[in-house]
Amino acid sequence: MGSQVSIIRPSYLPEIELFRPSSIDGVFECIKDGARVLAGGTDLLPWASQHGQPRKMVWIGNVEPLHGFSVDDERLQIGACVTQGELIRCADFRRAAPAVADSVQFVGSVQLRNQATLLGNVCSASPAGDTLPALLVHEAQVEITGAPGQERQVSLDDFLLAPGKTMLAPGELASGVSFCGLRANEMSAYRRHTERRALDLAVASVAARLVFEADGYTVAGARVALGAVGPTALVAIEAAKSLVGHPLTGETKSICAAIAAETCKPISDFRASADYRRQLVKVLVEDVIGEIEQRARIFKPNGEGR
Amino acid sequence: MSTGKYLRVNGTEYQIPGQWLGRRLLDYLRHELRLVSVKEGCGEGDCGACTVFVDAEPMCACLLLCGVVAGRNIITVEGLPQDFRQRFAQLCEKHGGLQCGYCTPGFTMMSAWLSGGGTETGKDPLDKLLAGNICRCSVYQQLKKVVAELT
Repeated sequence: MGSQVSIIRPSYLPEIELFRPSSIDGVFECIKDGARVLAGGTDLLPWASQHGQPRKMVWIGNVEPLHGFSVDDERLQIGACVTQGELIRCADFRRAAPAVADSVQFVGSVQLRNQATLLGNVCSASPAGDTLPALLVHEAQVEITGAPGQERQVSLDDFLLAPGKTMLAPGELASGVSFCGLRANEMSAYRRHTERRALDLAVASVAARLVFEADGYTVAGARVALGAVGPTALVAIEAAKSLVGHPLTGETKSICAAIAAETCKPISDFRASADYRRQLVKVLVEDVIGEIEQRARIFKPNGEGR
Repeated sequence: MSTGKYLRVNGTEYQIPGQWLGRRLLDYLRHELRLVSVKEGCGEGDCGACTVFVDAEPMCACLLLCGVVAGRNIITVEGLPQDFRQRFAQLCEKHGGLQCGYCTPGFTMMSAWLSGGGTETGKDPLDKLLAGNICRCSVYQQLKKVVAELT
């Protein structure tokens, strides 16, 4: 072996001290000991390669209850270890939360989605995190476990504080995320703009969820959320309100889009200028509502366009 | 679920030495097992050159720690059926789907996955499923022909 030419480039990832407990109690012991929580690792490991730390990680994949994932009509409950790939493959999930399903399919690639978890995307709290606007319009709640048995639910809007910053306190574990499934006469969608089609972060993104009256035309309720145009994903309350009580027309759509563009808080960076991002928000809001309209045709009494 | 210190690679079970548990699967496969089809491109999950199967699903070996995949089934290009590899090579030759060759193992794994019925929603365009493999010689159109003929 000595004379063999080395065929390996040195790995820049430092050797990780890896803990693999099989119970929540074990996880908390490791967290208390200073270990960072590792789930899919698609964000944490590149970070560790670039920064040389953290060196101590606790992998939560051995904790059976964190793999739980249930879809019923009212609410979806997704455990911390459920990968994005698992979710996309589930037809019930795609039906119950179309916006979230759209958004997950924009994350990374097939390979990355097989490793990355949904909750990992939430906890990374990137301003451009794809799933965040979609989860916001589906009224997501993050489950935080402070110690074994001590749980609280925090709305995603409150959970996200700043780029990369969440409400998670040291010693706490985000153990799951739950959100509303579509009810009767509801539809949702997510759209984004990127420089290249895959493996890129959103320049701007928009998710919306609309409730229609029984007539299938008039909007009875709306939620709109924006990504990559503020320090965190934003809920556009005023923009959503402007749709309620009106049928979807070119005019109502463009009013909603204009309000969303006004209320967002984009920055200029290497991806795009703030002005460009505002313009994009306008286009994307109209796009997303158009997509919802398409998908919601089945609600219309005469089944028009079915 | 992954416990213990064993790793099944291309059908053979290996005991992972303790110092490897917190290191990358990519390095273990290349250093220890000399399975050099698994390439390191970007080292952060973008390029797909290190694609391996973990329990029949493609993943990036550069973002997996050995301890995380312990107990699971790993397949690399070396573990794919000989006739599949031959057919893939022939089709690459026919369509010109190979330039420098660095991305080829990753594309081979994805082609094997696709020809085995790999999909996410059942109606995904090929572009979406191959988006995680980057070819800097840019023979994408040719590779798409290869995959289309395989599947």
